Amino acid sequence: MSSLLAIQQLTIWRQQCPLIDIDVSIPGGEILTIMGPSGSGKSTLLNWLTGMLPQQFHAQGSLLLNQQDITHTPAHQRHIGLLYQDPLLFPHLSVAGNIAFAMPKGAKQHRSETISQALEQVGLDGLEQRDPASLSGGQQARVALLRVLLSQPKAILLDEPFSKLDSQLRHETRQLVFNQIREHQLPAIMVTHDQSDADAANGKIINLNAEEATHA
Amino acid sequence: MIVSKWLPAFLLHIHQSIILLLLAMLWVPSGLASDWQSVVDEGKNSDVYFHAWGGDPQINNYIDWLAEQVKQRYNINLQHIKLTDTSEAVSRVLAEKSAGNHHAGKVDLIWINGANFAAMAQHGLLRANWAQQLPNFALTNPDKNPAVTLDFGVPTQGMESPWGQAALTFYYDRTATKQPPFTLQELLNWSVDNKGRFTYPKPPDFIGVSFLKYALISLTPKSKQHLLYQAATEEAADVVLPHLWQYLDALHPNLWRKGRYFVSHSTALRRLMGDTELSLAMTFSAAEVPAAVKRYDLPTSIRSYAMHDGRLSNIHFVAIPYNASHSASAKLVANFMLSAQAQAKKQQANVWGDQTVLDLATLSPEQVALFNQTNTHPSSLKTTSNSPSLAEPHPSWVALINQQWLLRYGAKNAKNAKKQVEQ
Amino acid sequence: MIKSADFFTHAVQHTPKLLMALLILPVLGGLVGVLLPAFGYIPALNKMSFSLQGFNALIDTAGFSQMVLLSAFSALSSTLLAFIITILILACYFNSPWLYRIQRLLGPILVIPHAAAAIAISFLITPSGMISRLFSPWLSGWQSPPDWLLPHDAWGISMILGLTLKELPFLLLMALAALAQADLGAKLRAQHKIALSLGYCPMTAFFKVVLPNLYPFLRLPVLAVLAYASANVEIPLILGPNAPPTLAVAIMHWFNDVDLSLRIKASAGAVIQLLLTITLLAAWWLLEKLTKRVSQTSIINGKRDYAGQHIMRFTHVTTFILISCVVLSLAGLVLWAFAGYWRFPSSLPEQFVFMHWQNALIQMHTSLINTLLIGFSATFIAVIFTLFTLEAEQQRAQSLSRFASLVIYLPMLIPSIAFLFGLVWLQEQLNSQHALFNVIFSHLLFVVPYVFLSLASSYRRLDPRFANLAASLGATPASVFWRVKLPMLISPICIAFALGLAISFSQYLPTLLNGGGRIDTITTEAVTLASGASRRVSSVYALMQMLLPALAFALAWLLPKLLKHYQHKA
Repeated sequence: MSSLLAIQQLTIWRQQCPLIDIDVSIPGGEILTIMGPSGSGKSTLLNWLTGMLPQQFHAQGSLLLNQQDITHTPAHQRHIGLLYQDPLLFPHLSVAGNIAFAMPKGAKQHRSETISQALEQVGLDGLEQRDPASLSGGQQARVALLRVLLSQPKAILLDEPFSKLDSQLRHETRQLVFNQIREHQLPAIMVTHDQSDADAANGKIINLNAEEATHA
Repeated sequence: MIVSKWLPAFLLHIHQSIILLLLAMLWVPSGLASDWQSVVDEGKNSDVYFHAWGGDPQINNYIDWLAEQVKQRYNINLQHIKLTDTSEAVSRVLAEKSAGNHHAGKVDLIWINGANFAAMAQHGLLRANWAQQLPNFALTNPDKNPAVTLDFGVPTQGMESPWGQAALTFYYDRTATKQPPFTLQELLNWSVDNKGRFTYPKPPDFIGVSFLKYALISLTPKSKQHLLYQAATEEAADVVLPHLWQYLDALHPNLWRKGRYFVSHSTALRRLMGDTELSLAMTFSAAEVPAAVKRYDLPTSIRSYAMHDGRLSNIHFVAIPYNASHSASAKLVANFMLSAQAQAKKQQANVWGDQTVLDLATLSPEQVALFNQTNTHPSSLKTTSNSPSLAEPHPSWVALINQQWLLRYGAKNAKNAKKQVEQ
Repeated sequence: MIKSADFFTHAVQHTPKLLMALLILPVLGGLVGVLLPAFGYIPALNKMSFSLQGFNALIDTAGFSQMVLLSAFSALSSTLLAFIITILILACYFNSPWLYRIQRLLGPILVIPHAAAAIAISFLITPSGMISRLFSPWLSGWQSPPDWLLPHDAWGISMILGLTLKELPFLLLMALAALAQADLGAKLRAQHKIALSLGYCPMTAFFKVVLPNLYPFLRLPVLAVLAYASANVEIPLILGPNAPPTLAVAIMHWFNDVDLSLRIKASAGAVIQLLLTITLLAAWWLLEKLTKRVSQTSIINGKRDYAGQHIMRFTHVTTFILISCVVLSLAGLVLWAFAGYWRFPSSLPEQFVFMHWQNALIQMHTSLINTLLIGFSATFIAVIFTLFTLEAEQQRAQSLSRFASLVIYLPMLIPSIAFLFGLVWLQEQLNSQHALFNVIFSHLLFVVPYVFLSLASSYRRLDPRFANLAASLGATPASVFWRVKLPMLISPICIAFALGLAISFSQYLPTLLNGGGRIDTITTEAVTLASGASRRVSSVYALMQMLLPALAFALAWLLPKLLKHYQHKA
């Protein structure tokens, strides 16, 4: 069964004022792009999706992940991975530690082999014990991606994930992330400012300001 | 009424006073009057730092009144330095001596007696031979009342001037216990029926030590009592102290907190009486009790009484350190403290209730009238009670009792303590 | 950067050195003044040769080992408890608005002097206290107070409770202050979110992700708490056992004892106290390393939930008990301050009277004036020194050396009982006539670290472009400082001033010792009265002790607003 993330008849209000109105579903391997200027409610939507909506907002509608209603599931039980524009690697853990942190429990040997393989796949072989702060921006972004993927999420959210990278790196990293999402057949939602991100995602685009969905 | 009661005594004593006066004129160099005048001239218009225990608001108020009076009379600013423990002032003077400050000491006058006095006298920290020069000192009739020149049996050598005297008074909560104990033995029986409702402060607190001394005197057979009024020796201690420890060993399990904890300050007794944690307590200033009831600090069911087997009595003094900056002014204050007016005010139950050290026989009828007691509170000590007065044992006993008490009951580690006792 | 050579710049440049000297000389000089007598050298007692007599006397003292154990046990357990509860509260309410509600409820305790807090807690747990009155006689059946061993219990439980309650808000506030730093707070929150999205339960996410990065900001406050707890005298005096007491209290008694030869023993005790505190700090450091090592593998073992629900429930209950304790203590104190007759087990007094306030207010005016005079003088000097030091730092464009920062916090870390007696002796050598000056100076030592701590971050955060802009408009460094920086920093300065006042108001030992007992403040009076006869008078003084700093903080909050209002009108 292929995976599916469905947002059903969602409306979010700030105080009494409706902010967002969405109804959309994303099949596995597809990337929904959310665009809009700041203040249009992009991060509010992300917060709702992760189950961390601040108190001054309130929402109606439901969130289904693989036919399961997770609207009221606490954040940590949703299995939705997050990728921010900052890699936000844990400074007190090594590169391998950051990834191991995300992986499910298991035999130590097996875990460390998985980590090494994954690092090798993205061209970071041999960097297991490095302090994440000593890596370049692009390397950090790749570790952050591995961290999300190896946590075996059922869906993934990208919050302007490439905006801090320069254009060459941006292109490469984007390609890597999108390939991985498609390879793992994960439904993904990407919030971005950048039209080229949207083009590369090659999926549905919702423009929050215009409040209408268009097909690319 | 009371004046007329005193009048015959007064008349009787007139001739005695005249003799005294003559004696004074014979003995004292003729320069005395002018000497005092020079003290007055030198001491006026100055500050006096009076280091005195400040734990009782009633006493503090009385000292405030003293300050007003000496301000009016001599333009002296009497500053009350409130001590939690008189030993603080002792340390102060010692620190000054060690720093070579022999003339500009910060302590001008100390309220003191007992062990603190003995320590200061021993280290040469007090000015000597001034107290008997105070004009009002004669009012204490020192020849007839040698007690005013003895501090716990130690001659004062003019190092301190008497201020007041106190006797151990008990008080109990009538709601909690109908019948208080009237002797030391009754106290032991009472404590069995009223478990946890009595305690005494741990030495070296004044009241705590006084209770131990009262117990020691009461427990010592008449034939051995003379030992208590001589310097303590090991042989004497072996004779009298076992009685005391035996009594305390029996008493302690029935005390507040099962005798495992003792309050450090006697003031805490009154608070615990107010909390109704205790039903029986004691004090050296009987007037503190009705005053505390009026201030709501003690319940209305409190009654004061004197033990039938005797009341421990002692005199307290003021002393001037050897290096006091304002010694002349301090003498003026000490002299005023001995005036009939100041002593009478102090004896008023609603002021302090501290018994005067003056011999009323030396006073004029007008002065005697000042000592009239007016309204008495139900919780006050009845003046009709006449228990025998018990004199303070020789001060060397205090150190011994304190030391041994602390070894026996002070440290919780009994094994450790026992070992030390055996050594 | 080219420096101007005017007077202001010179003054500013020399301030850091002066501040260092001001802190190092008294503290180290005081330590020497304790070390010499500890080894038997007291010229005053004609003892001029060195010996170990003091230490031998110390070891022979009945209950000495118990004193040391009591000090160590109460300090470690109260610090550990306060730390653990702080962390639990942070973990449990990390993403909840309750965190700030709890902060607002517990925050005010921070400004309550230790003595007042101890008095309030002793009134709460005493056998006739609020807790036992609330449950008597309907539940407990007690018609008269039980014969509990609280407070003053031999294990120091009451003391540990008092220390924990008092230090917890400090640690919590320090943690929240770290989280309030824009970059750190946002980063930790985002990382917490990531951990949640990786399937970690909120408690575990906090412990595995936030705590390791937050702890470095808590280390110094925790060590300060530990050092304080091991050597303070107010709380053990009011809540601790006396047979035997803690080491610090025993030392204070020996110093004040009639028997003057005890001073050698007391000085030896002060040296042991210092060693004890250092040992405890080292033990904490070791504990920290050990925890780090042990937890290293479990952080990345992938386990996402350690009975988080139960721990959360436990934290809710603990927090509730904590806040109830605070509210009940304060309520008890207020009731006592107005109580007429109040026999156990009534929950409320029979009548309410103003008498205790009237009596106290008449008696306290001298100590009130002393308190304010000392507080304002010490704080004023501390604020000026701090501002100049921070300005010097900006002019030099480099922050204080690690050594200098350490020196500033020296009086916070070295137990005051270990150097104050020596400082008294030093001051005696220099001048013995100005008790008030001596007290102000000794308060300064304790006020400076807190003022510095509270001002440094805002001063350093000030956008340097404002100063550059003003300079480019022709303003001298002095007028940039006075007319640009200070007005922009008026709020933090007011807060630092209020904090300095609160610290000064709460000082007990320096006032007592350096003033030679001649200077009474509300705090020394409150401690004296705490062992005194009247709960009612004691309550009035304890409340007064709380009111003063509260007033200072209220003014610190109001003053900048008023100034702003006035400026905008003008």
